[in-house]
Amino acid sequence: MTTPPSDTIIRLDGIEKSFGGAKALSGVSLAIERGTVHGLVGQNGAGKSTLIKLLAGLHQPDAGTIEIDGQRLTHITPHAVESLGIHFIHQDRLLVPTFTVGEALFLGREPRIAGTPFLDRRQMQRRAREVLQRYFGLSLPNSALIADLSTAEKQIVQITRALLDQPKVLVFDEPTAALVKREADLLFQLIRRLREDGITVIYISHYLQEIEALCDRVTVLRNGRDVATKALSETSASEIAGLMVNREIGDLFPVREKAPGEPLLTVDRLSAPGRYHDVSLTLHRGEVLGLIGLLGSGAKEFLRTLFGLETAASGTVTVQGQAPWQASPVQAARRRLALVPEDRRRHGVALDLSVKENTTLASLSRFTRLGLIDRTAEESETDRLITRLQVKTEGREALLRTLSGGNQQKVAIAKWLSRQSDIYLLDEPTVGVDIAAKVEIYALIAELAEKGAGVIVLSSDLNELIGLTDRILIFFRGEILRTVTSETATVDALLADVTGSSELTRHAG
Amino acid sequence: MTALSPSLAPQTRRRLALGSRHALPVALVAVFLLFSALAPGFLSLANLESVLVNNFTLLSIVAIAMTFAIAAGGIDLSIGTAVDFASFSFVTLVLSGQPVPLALAAGLGGGALVGLFNAVLIAGIGISPFLATLGTLFIGRSVQQLLTNGGNPVYLPPAGVPESFRFLGRGTVAGLPVPLLVAGAIILIAGLILSRSRFGRVVSATGTEAEVVRYSGLTLKAHLAGTYVLVALIAAVAGLVLTSTVTVYIPSSGNAFLLNAIGAAFIGTTLHPHGRPNIAGTVLGVLLLSLVANGLLMSGLNFYWQQVGTGLLIFTVLALSFASRKA
Repeated sequence: MTTPPSDTIIRLDGIEKSFGGAKALSGVSLAIERGTVHGLVGQNGAGKSTLIKLLAGLHQPDAGTIEIDGQRLTHITPHAVESLGIHFIHQDRLLVPTFTVGEALFLGREPRIAGTPFLDRRQMQRRAREVLQRYFGLSLPNSALIADLSTAEKQIVQITRALLDQPKVLVFDEPTAALVKREADLLFQLIRRLREDGITVIYISHYLQEIEALCDRVTVLRNGRDVATKALSETSASEIAGLMVNREIGDLFPVREKAPGEPLLTVDRLSAPGRYHDVSLTLHRGEVLGLIGLLGSGAKEFLRTLFGLETAASGTVTVQGQAPWQASPVQAARRRLALVPEDRRRHGVALDLSVKENTTLASLSRFTRLGLIDRTAEESETDRLITRLQVKTEGREALLRTLSGGNQQKVAIAKWLSRQSDIYLLDEPTVGVDIAAKVEIYALIAELAEKGAGVIVLSSDLNELIGLTDRILIFFRGEILRTVTSETATVDALLADVTGSSELTRHAG
Repeated sequence: MTALSPSLAPQTRRRLALGSRHALPVALVAVFLLFSALAPGFLSLANLESVLVNNFTLLSIVAIAMTFAIAAGGIDLSIGTAVDFASFSFVTLVLSGQPVPLALAAGLGGGALVGLFNAVLIAGIGISPFLATLGTLFIGRSVQQLLTNGGNPVYLPPAGVPESFRFLGRGTVAGLPVPLLVAGAIILIAGLILSRSRFGRVVSATGTEAEVVRYSGLTLKAHLAGTYVLVALIAAVAGLVLTSTVTVYIPSSGNAFLLNAIGAAFIGTTLHPHGRPNIAGTVLGVLLLSLVANGLLMSGLNFYWQQVGTGLLIFTVLALSFASRKA
């Protein structure tokens, strides 16, 4: 595995790339040694896929240089890259399902019978068989239809197609995402074979065990920068993980002063037939409550009822001692309840409104004088929240569409901060949110509680619930099965409760 | 956070955005120059004034009304019905000898009634704006025929109308025709409402993503209902101006504005950085359609070809705008 340092097959230097306001890559440098397996890791949004798309010629870098085999590329096109012997195995690149294996393998470079326009089917069959035998030890008839193949077999066709071109470099982008364990093992064997044959492999994954098992060297990307390149012999999975998130895993969740104050929200025997019944709880100031339950357990319906999106048949919801009200989102918001809904892109934020318009949508009255919006006040409030929540955006007038998922979610929360809400109902607050934004959202939730708000988090991420909340209410078949203290909760015990298996064993015992 | 994007990419984007936003102003200048060169008599003060008074004034008011419906994510096909109902109520009261201010109020009320009906259908029952207002359009047409014995015009005898009525249609203030001043006032007020008021913001948000409005604790239905009443009220103003200019109410005549109003509002969206309906864009769109209609007339082209001109124009502006947007 030790190759002379001079033998660099791909060298990226100072690569920068922005999309809209978001800087995807800010100065990435990377050298891939010939004949090695080089891992590329990073959380979602770290810049892995952008980097690969640049290398594949699908995007052009804003700055920086790409050298392949010592040759500096000026304008990178997919064709130019492929002709230099670099091939990409994308997990989601679709093969035409109505093609046969033979057609898919040789599409665009079909061998012809010398001197005629006719396809040389025999040669196609023979070459395909050679490669399939050599690397996979199996045979796929060229006449098989792509649509009939398994995911793994489709991937084999993709790889075979690349190998037929005698590549110098193969790039695997999250190749095991859709594979079962046994298929993944076969893939790992293949990659080792490729290395033996002198083919360079770039392997992108966020599974650290795979990186550890396969790679000679690994580069960690974080926030669009290469933070480290290490030989696997000199590092560990936990060190890599730490580099990816720039902190110890245990620090993901903020430490919070847990001193619940007066009751904010009291729910007394709330029932909605067929969804949940007799649900009671009290949320105090400074408290973070967790809700968990499978689909149909009633947890989500319960949360939506609190915000007035669904109605309950009986029971009462009291906010800060005020009389129960007729539920509607308008009334709920008036009582300083806030909902950050699960479906961010349809309910939480309007993608075609600007950051400013989204941020102040729930609190427009605050900025309205005689029916007209006070633009200065609105803009300064928006800027304040952009800074406070570290929303990455080109500016307050940028459309929400141009923001990453995590930053969109921050705006969905900012909307209620601007409304000065007291009770935050968060439905799956970190789904589709990159790790950096996740950590920031966790910190924000803790801060809200410390400043006297009450927070209810519904999440299917058990670690998140345990790390973030004071108490966890477990919904099972429309009832609160159990309330557990987060400090003593474990993922396994929660999982057993949520699925009802603990209940079954108890009855059995 | 602006410091985050010091790279050059945004500049390119801005240039493209400018290109697409320029389609409408460029078309306006091009059409103006073209007809100035081709159509004798186009480039005269008298003709240009006639464009403003005869083509621009009424259409601009109706198109602005339509802009609100489109901004809220809907459409109002019954906009002409509101024009007609206003006109009918107004004429009826003037004929029966009521004072002009009262007749004006009744006219606005008559128009608003159409809007209320739409509001009930759309916000109350939840029928889609297209179908709801289509129904209103048909019902409105029948009602007018019933009221006028099968569609007979109601004339105001020139001798029988008070001076204050004549002032509305034919009067001038500081040399400017009153109808044009009314249109100007509507433009200013509507611009303020749509782009600067809380109501306008919620209307735009509704047109963009109605569910987000509801999930933000805003009264979605009230804003939808208010939108369609406002649309009808503004259209009613056009009905009042129309009647006081021509001193006659002709049943279902308001429908003549419908397609041009929709066209102008959509042409106008090209002026907005995010392609939203906006008052300034609509006004320029109306101006463009007015200039083309007049220019084609002045160049002696067959009247029946005018619609072709309008259609081509809408295609061109939208195509130019989208082409440069995608580039």
